Amino acid sequence: MRSKLREESLYSLLFLTPAIALVLVFVYFAIAWNVYISFTDWKGLIPSYRFVGLENYRTLFHDPVFWTSFRNNIILIILFVPGSLFIGLLLAVLLDRKIKFENGFRTIYTLPFALSFVVTATLWAWMYDPSDGVLNTLFSMLHLDFLKSNWITDPHVALYAVILALIWQFSGYTMVIYLAGLRSISTEQYEAAIIDGATPLQLYRYVIIPQLKKPTLSAFVVLMVFSLKAFDFIWVLTSGGPGTSTFILAVEMYKETFAKTKFAYGASIATILLLLSFAIVLPYLYWSYRGEKE
Amino acid sequence: MAEVRLINVWKRFGDVIAVKDMNLEVRDGEFMILLGPSGCGKTTTLRMIAGLEEPTKGQIYIGDKLVADPEKGVFIPPKDRDIAMVFQSYALYPHMTVYDNIAFPLKLRKVPKQEIDRRVREVAEMLGLTELLNRKPRELSGGQRQRVALGRAIVRKPKVFLMDEPLSNLDAKLRVKMRAELKKLQRQLGVTTIYVTHDQVEAMTMGDRIAVINQGVLQQVGTPDEVYDKPANTFVAGFIGTPPMNFMDATITEDGFADFGEFKLKLLPDQFEALEDGGYIGREVIFGIRPEDIYDAMFAQVKIPGENMVRAIVEIIENLGSEKIVHLRVGRITFLGSFRAESKVKENQEVDVVFDMRKIHTFDKKTGKTIF
Amino acid sequence: MRAGRLILYVVLIFLAFVYLLPLWSAITTSLKTGKQVTMTTPIQLVLPPYFGAYKTAFSELRKPILNSLLFTTFATIFSVMIGSITGYALSKLLKGSTSKKLLMFITLGIFLPYQSILIPLLRIITKLGLYNTIPGMILTHTAYGVPITTLLFTNYYHEVPDELIEAAKVDGASPLKIYTSVVFPISIPAFVVTAIYQFTNIWNDYLFGVVLTRGEEAMPATVKLANLKGSFVANWNIQMAGALIVAIPTLFIMIVLGKYLIRGYTSGAVKG
Ligand SMILES: Nc1ncnc2c1ncn2[C@@H]1O[C@H](COP(=O)(O)OP(=O)(O)O)[C@@H](O)[C@H]1O
Ligand SMILES: [Mg+2]
Repeated sequence: MRSKLREESLYSLLFLTPAIALVLVFVYFAIAWNVYISFTDWKGLIPSYRFVGLENYRTLFHDPVFWTSFRNNIILIILFVPGSLFIGLLLAVLLDRKIKFENGFRTIYTLPFALSFVVTATLWAWMYDPSDGVLNTLFSMLHLDFLKSNWITDPHVALYAVILALIWQFSGYTMVIYLAGLRSISTEQYEAAIIDGATPLQLYRYVIIPQLKKPTLSAFVVLMVFSLKAFDFIWVLTSGGPGTSTFILAVEMYKETFAKTKFAYGASIATILLLLSFAIVLPYLYWSYRGEKE
Repeated sequence: MAEVRLINVWKRFGDVIAVKDMNLEVRDGEFMILLGPSGCGKTTTLRMIAGLEEPTKGQIYIGDKLVADPEKGVFIPPKDRDIAMVFQSYALYPHMTVYDNIAFPLKLRKVPKQEIDRRVREVAEMLGLTELLNRKPRELSGGQRQRVALGRAIVRKPKVFLMDEPLSNLDAKLRVKMRAELKKLQRQLGVTTIYVTHDQVEAMTMGDRIAVINQGVLQQVGTPDEVYDKPANTFVAGFIGTPPMNFMDATITEDGFADFGEFKLKLLPDQFEALEDGGYIGREVIFGIRPEDIYDAMFAQVKIPGENMVRAIVEIIENLGSEKIVHLRVGRITFLGSFRAESKVKENQEVDVVFDMRKIHTFDKKTGKTIF
Repeated sequence: MRAGRLILYVVLIFLAFVYLLPLWSAITTSLKTGKQVTMTTPIQLVLPPYFGAYKTAFSELRKPILNSLLFTTFATIFSVMIGSITGYALSKLLKGSTSKKLLMFITLGIFLPYQSILIPLLRIITKLGLYNTIPGMILTHTAYGVPITTLLFTNYYHEVPDELIEAAKVDGASPLKIYTSVVFPISIPAFVVTAIYQFTNIWNDYLFGVVLTRGEEAMPATVKLANLKGSFVANWNIQMAGALIVAIPTLFIMIVLGKYLIRGYTSGAVKG
């Protein structure tokens, strides 16, 4: 028995080593290193590790571009997260009504989410092209000229255009999450509510949607974290422009680090991003860990 | 309060005929049981009454009101039928407290808050839920959940209660207890109740009347005594009672015997007359007798004319303590007897068994219908 | 009631058009000559189709696509294998709080904003001599794939009854033997889901590719596609053709194997 147990722990060690080693180096060690870099004066291609304390953070907090990025990030979160949740829920509720070709519709709505952000950014560059682009041409055709816009070349519109496209890409994902949530609610719940006298609207309002807390929360966390690290799509579509109108923290970090080679400065933005996302994720992980125990 | 009537009701799901030409009348205030094996169409019948399914054909009345008739295009949705339903899994709303669960149907009907509160508390009192009103369903035991589900049905004071195997998720002991409670509650409220179950013990103990269904077809409606003592056909006879009735093929001889090949039993005069009237003389019928009507000759309580005793081999004995279920064989014919505990039978030994001829049943071989 | 259903279908079909519009206009545009692009609306399909744009885009993307196929395949295999054995160990060999803590430790990486490790990652890969190489891409994607594959497999193995493993144990099989002869065969569905999920994720990545590669030796297709935007400004037909070429593998997966991909999303998954 004893030797059997020892054998088991030996094997678990063997099985766990690759994952733990990779995560240790590429996640935890890398995080620590990045934080350390943010306390140095590394600028230019040659690493330099001279310790400068909080200097980079001080500069950062006095940098208007940082605050612009921060503000844009907040706008992104405020519109993109509830927008994706709401439209995903709507799609899920519509699809959860014994629809013919449900799989077909589901595939169509989820298709955008399976694409690379580089691909979707390329598609949306064409959608938003002010002169010949898809949207403006379409609105002309439909005599909806008031909807025409300069889209991503208009600094007042660009950020919202980006958000709209991201909702297009993510609502299929939230739909799928909600659909799974809806499917886990037994049909008897629906029937009981109908017998209790609920109209379809009341059914969703009082019985179904309150039971979707869990999928909502997990999708919420995914969307929040994405809003913080969103880079590919914006970088390819607008590169943060026009001006700094679509700068968010992840874009600024990339630009400072790799375009201007201000590595230590970039590392400090990255650290802020990390703190922000852990502020969201850790309570969630704690909550779901506790939830499992119940 | 109201009666419920189904007139020539059919329900088809694609190729499956779930309910076939059902005619059923449930009287006002009656406790009616729908009984049958799994898949026979009980739930479908109940759901058509509830309005969760539309019949393919036929009419359903609740009280005087026609609630479903596809030919006339009549279909009253569940919420306007004034019925309440208790589901097998209870279907309690997991995010609401017990109080809110019970109050929900009233809230939807815009009953004033004070009135809701009064009625919820009244129902909670009746069901012993007062202490639990602030709990969530997951913090309740199976029996408590069951009561909340009942409470949610009662609080509305509906015309009809519909219950789909409401006790099947409870453990055996609790089930017996709830059986009695439910029955008492129904008497007290006097509300017409239609109760679905596949458990014949439940049906026998609770129902005012039982509707036995098989493969979508109503077989018999009657009081528990009626379906037990006068089953309409072999299905009802075999489905009700444990251990089940013995069926054996017998030829009716001209001199008044049921001839099983290996042995014969003398029929009572009026039985023979009935068979003669039906033209069964010289033909084969299905002969049925319940195990408890077969006795160990040493303990037989009936007067024994010599003809109804048979020597059989004991194959297996299942000792239940209060009685012994004995697997008996005569030649190729096997049957069960339910003997008193004192019986001294032993496996692989012979025993004289007595058939209580007053309790036998005969059925038409082709149709399975009862002859007497 | 019937009218309600009709409206429902109308809404669903309208939404389907909206969701497909960017793809549809990409397809039509990719099949036009430069002149046709300006002369016709993007919604219009011009016949006969012109394949010149695809030819140009493909000649640009050929090598990067091969790169992407290569490292995506290997990184998928490695991250899925590691995820599977880790998930097995965490759900069946270890029990209780140790296993839960380790799972937390590993899966925290799922929510990592990669910006916060990007500079050290570049240093590590450069120091290992793997900058701008396929192995460098494989290593990176394997490492950052492990948290999610571990989570997916752990969740899957939690559903596998312990009795199955205990039965093999009673028969005298070692944990390794149990893995190869019991656990592995029954987790084929999890392998399918996780592999498809990983393949899409890695194929779609841009950030690691743009930071860890320079020339065409190891450059992923996504990075090259982004570069096409600069070299073919306003050549919308070529850009759209390029985008669709890069999209083909994931479009194929979504349309043909969408069921599995969606299962990946719903069992606690996230996009890069
Ligand atoms: N929604 C449905 N679609 C197709 N077949 C169904 C549906 N509901 C019930 N059935 C079929 O109808 C028959 C009767 O089912 P049901 O009424 O649930 O039986 P019971 O409740 O007596 O077990 C079964 O053969 C079942 O498979
Ligand atoms: Mg049923």
